[in-house]
Amino acid sequence: MLSRKVFCLIRNLHISSVKSLRGSLRPVSSPTESEDVQEKLPTKVENTLPSENPLKSYVPTFNLAAYVNKSECLQEFIKMGVNLHNIERRKGLGEFVLNLNFNDTVKPRLLFLADLGVSPELFGRFITKNPLIFKESIADLTIRVNYLESKKFTPQQIITIVERNPFWLMFSTKRIDNRLGFFQKNFELNGDDVRFLTTKQPNLITYKIEHVQKALFTVKEEMGFNVEEMKCLLLAKPKLFMMDHSLLVERFSYAHDEMKLSHEMILNFPHILTSRQFRVEQRHKFLKFLEKAQYDPKKDLYVSPKALVEGTDLDFVLNVAKSDLVTFDAFLRTL
Amino acid sequence: MNQILTYNAPTVFKRLNGIVKLLKPALKRVSHVKNAFLFNVCKDLNALNVRPPRQILLESGGAQNVVLRKVNDLSDHILAVGPRYQIKDIKCSVVNHLGEHTSGVLILGLNRCTKNANKLRKQRFIRTFHVKGLLGTSTENFFWDSRITCKSRFSHVTEDRFDSIVSSLQASHQRSMYDLCGVDIRSHAGYELASKGIIRPEINDQPLIYGIKIIEFKPPNFTLEIHVINENEEFLAMLVHDIAIELKSVAHCNGISCIRYGPFHIDNSLINRHWSLSGAVHSMNHCKNVLDINMNVND
Repeated sequence: MLSRKVFCLIRNLHISSVKSLRGSLRPVSSPTESEDVQEKLPTKVENTLPSENPLKSYVPTFNLAAYVNKSECLQEFIKMGVNLHNIERRKGLGEFVLNLNFNDTVKPRLLFLADLGVSPELFGRFITKNPLIFKESIADLTIRVNYLESKKFTPQQIITIVERNPFWLMFSTKRIDNRLGFFQKNFELNGDDVRFLTTKQPNLITYKIEHVQKALFTVKEEMGFNVEEMKCLLLAKPKLFMMDHSLLVERFSYAHDEMKLSHEMILNFPHILTSRQFRVEQRHKFLKFLEKAQYDPKKDLYVSPKALVEGTDLDFVLNVAKSDLVTFDAFLRTL
Repeated sequence: MNQILTYNAPTVFKRLNGIVKLLKPALKRVSHVKNAFLFNVCKDLNALNVRPPRQILLESGGAQNVVLRKVNDLSDHILAVGPRYQIKDIKCSVVNHLGEHTSGVLILGLNRCTKNANKLRKQRFIRTFHVKGLLGTSTENFFWDSRITCKSRFSHVTEDRFDSIVSSLQASHQRSMYDLCGVDIRSHAGYELASKGIIRPEINDQPLIYGIKIIEFKPPNFTLEIHVINENEEFLAMLVHDIAIELKSVAHCNGISCIRYGPFHIDNSLINRHWSLSGAVHSMNHCKNVLDINMNVND
């Protein structure tokens, strides 16, 4: 309750300055000057302060913005493009970031990443996603990178993995090894396949293993693909195994039952499973209305399922449906 | 009408007051549609020229020769305080609450026009629905997305039979309107009430059908056009079910589309490709024109 109130106060301050737009400088007033707030939380405030900082004029706040002018670390973060607003919404992270010491904690790890080959432009995104990287010791990070090297990942692949999945380096080598083993065993992958998959979608390896197991069941038993076909799907669209199961089945059943696409066709064009349901539905219904919904490559006037889901509505209407946007819009209003 | 081209986000935000007309897809909740629309509007507003960070005075140069410099206040940076425009900054009120299975016109009032939106809601406009039905099967909740409970033949159902039942339904509803007003339909008071125009009893909870007709009949599919107030989608689906029972068959509702809400017709409503700032501005202008033309009709 209190947090909402104070937070609103800060937000309102900014909004009111947006609205007034006088161009004149407003005095920078601390948004949390109300005395009752100070009385209620005096001890908590002192705990959250970086102890080496001589400034004692901190007041309680519920966003990091109030500390930015006083903390060197946060200023550096903003210059790097770290989204503090995003970080503070996640539980416990705001406090953690506030207590960081730039020279002792942050700099060595960033230098480590830079030495690894991670592009400095991506640091902002990296830290926004995973500020907890500053909790890991340099020795651990080195071991984890060495593990990848020992598994014959090329330096370029390692960079891609770390850039795409900031959480990768948080996982101990044992856990990563288990997970890579899980994928290798269940999808019958060889070493190259595993490296390809890891580079293509590193998030899948560190995803909840239980979720992947359920997705595996969904694809195998509910959708009826065999292991070989499942492997094809995994390597073409790893994202399918991170999707909500019911959504996946819904999309599959639409493609298979409604659009009459065979398993083979879906394997050739897995885009139909990664595209949003309403998009496929609208476009398929429009083609059906024009009597152009013909997805059999052996017959005339074949429409590729990939062309169906690709591109903007305008591209689809002009190139695939050979119609115009006005007709398409009018059709959508009758659905 | 004066038209200005501006890329200044605060100017645009100040002008963002009006009624917009969206096309709600079926099986998406109103809250979802509203959120998706406002999210896109905020994204577009943030892409314009937003307010730069405030500036603060900074001392440098030591105690002897104090130099005051103006620098950007980092605590007012977008990365620190979040995007300048967020969903909760835009006030939005929904005029007609469509059910989850319904598609069609959804009217929203933005910012200063939320008051107007509330007024519009109190006007209790007549809504027009196109209700699609499928003869032969009935389902648990009368809609298409639940379990089938019953099947029956429908070869004996003809359009004439359909028409007669539908028109008797309309007549009984019209009679009940006079009853709700406490007036006998055959009396002089009844005549005077009827001569004033459409009767809208003050009751808010009882659905009243003003007109119902069958506009398409291709067994097993049929489409009803229903003019109604105080309805909800369960009522319309139940109506399809009841009509089919009268016809000694069963049916379920296969789609509901709100094609008109008072003066707002489904044409020119924003389909989800157009849920954006520019779409919102276009729709606002359109709705303003519609309301200007129909102002005396509304009263």
